[in-house]
Formats: sequence, structure tokens, C-alpha cells
Amino acid sequence: MDYLWLKALHVAAVLVWIGGLLLVAVAITVLSLSKEVAEAPGRTAVFAVRRWDRYVTSPAMLLAWGAGLTLAILGEWFRSPWLIIKLVFVLLLTTLHGLLSGTLRKLGRSDEPPASFGLRHAPLLIIISVAAIVVLVVVKPFDGNVWWG
Amino acid sequence: MTPQERAEELTQLRRMRAVSLLEGSTLLLLLLVAVPLKHLAGVSAATHIMGPIHGLAFLAYLWMLIQTVSGGGWSRSETTRLVVAALIPFGAFVNERALARRQAMLGGSG
Repeated sequence: MDYLWLKALHVAAVLVWIGGLLLVAVAITVLSLSKEVAEAPGRTAVFAVRRWDRYVTSPAMLLAWGAGLTLAILGEWFRSPWLIIKLVFVLLLTTLHGLLSGTLRKLGRSDEPPASFGLRHAPLLIIISVAAIVVLVVVKPFDGNVWWG
Repeated sequence: MTPQERAEELTQLRRMRAVSLLEGSTLLLLLLVAVPLKHLAGVSAATHIMGPIHGLAFLAYLWMLIQTVSGGGWSRSETTRLVVAALIPFGAFVNERALARRQAMLGGSG
């Protein structure tokens, strides 16, 4: 597949992933603060967000990873410092996604307590990570240097 | 746990088991097929293809493990065991058995 087409696929998948990730994060923040998860509208919202996460956001994350890794291999970017730093943020977002997704499942049950203080601030963490990733990808700082050989 | 919650838990466990088997299988293919092909037959394309596939499977496996564990219902020792096994080679097969036991306990078929 052409490099630019693959890049377009990667960017599209990332947009869908991050959009869905923010949806889960904001839903958890709202549900944790309202403490009305057990009531009918709250449960319906949890169900809808979980379905979106399972069938749209999670496949988009895997597609973003798959296309991203292929791009890095084809473009021989793995020795570039900006990509290594970017991968740290992407791993952070991936871990956060797993935690949020599991927490949403937990919140779907009436007898479970609301989300932890840390996860309630997940939307901010996601925005900071995405901003850092955009700067790293667009500006490509330290690009004159090459790590590992 | 309501019947619907039990059904959802069983679905999650089935998915997690499938991803565990996928991770273990891609590692086996990488170590037993791709690496010998590279070193004994000089076919380096085998590791170039199988390496990233296993990397992606490992990532999906770790991600699902985080999701499963943070979904609740696991004790601290069970969580530690799952995470440690996830990080050692072929630990996915050990975890798959643990997940199958839990699935049987919840009333799902193994």
C-alpha cells in the first residue's frame, strides 16, 4: 500500500480512537460525579458508550497501532527520538483506554463504587498527551539526532 | 450478579482467552518458525513479518488484560498473577487456563 494512503488510514484511525477515548473518559467523569449510575438513564448511557467503545473505538485503536507500526517500519523511523518519545505517550493513552474501558464496565453494575480520583481527570491527561504527540509528529524535534546506531 | 452481567462477564472472559491464545500462538510461530527460517535458511522476511504481528498481538493482549482486570471482580493476588504471567514468555497459555477456570466457575462452558 502506498505510504501516504497508509498514513491517511493511520490518522483517520487515530482521530476515531481519540474521539471515542474522550467519550469514555468524559462519561466516567460525569457518572462518577453524579453518583446516579444505578438509575435508568445513567445505565442506558453506560450501555451506549460501552457498545461504541467495543465496536468502534477499540478496533480503531488496533488499526491505529497496526498502521502506525507499519509506517514506522516502512519509513525507517524507529531510530528517530521523536518517535520513541511519541510511543511513550501512545502507550500511556493505550493503558488509559484499557483502564477507562474496564472502569466503564464496572460502573455498569449498580453495586460498584464510582471511579477513582485519578480516572476522573483522564480527559485532561488525554488532551495533554494528544497535544504532545501532535507537536512531536509535526515539529519532529531532535530530528538531526538518531538514536541506536 | 444479574444474569445479564454474568453473560457479559463470560463474553469478556471468552474474548480474553482468545486473545491469550493468539498471543501465545504468534510467539510460537515467531520462535519456532520465523527465527529458524531466518538463521538456518536465510529468509529474513519471516521475522520481518512475524515480529510486528506478534508485537501487535502482545499489545492487544496486554490491553485486554488491563481492561479485564480494571473491570473488577479480581483479587489482588489474582491480578498480580495475571500481570506477571503476561510479561513472561508463554505466560499467555498459563493465563488462558486461569481464565478458563474462572469461566467454568461462572457457569460458562470451557
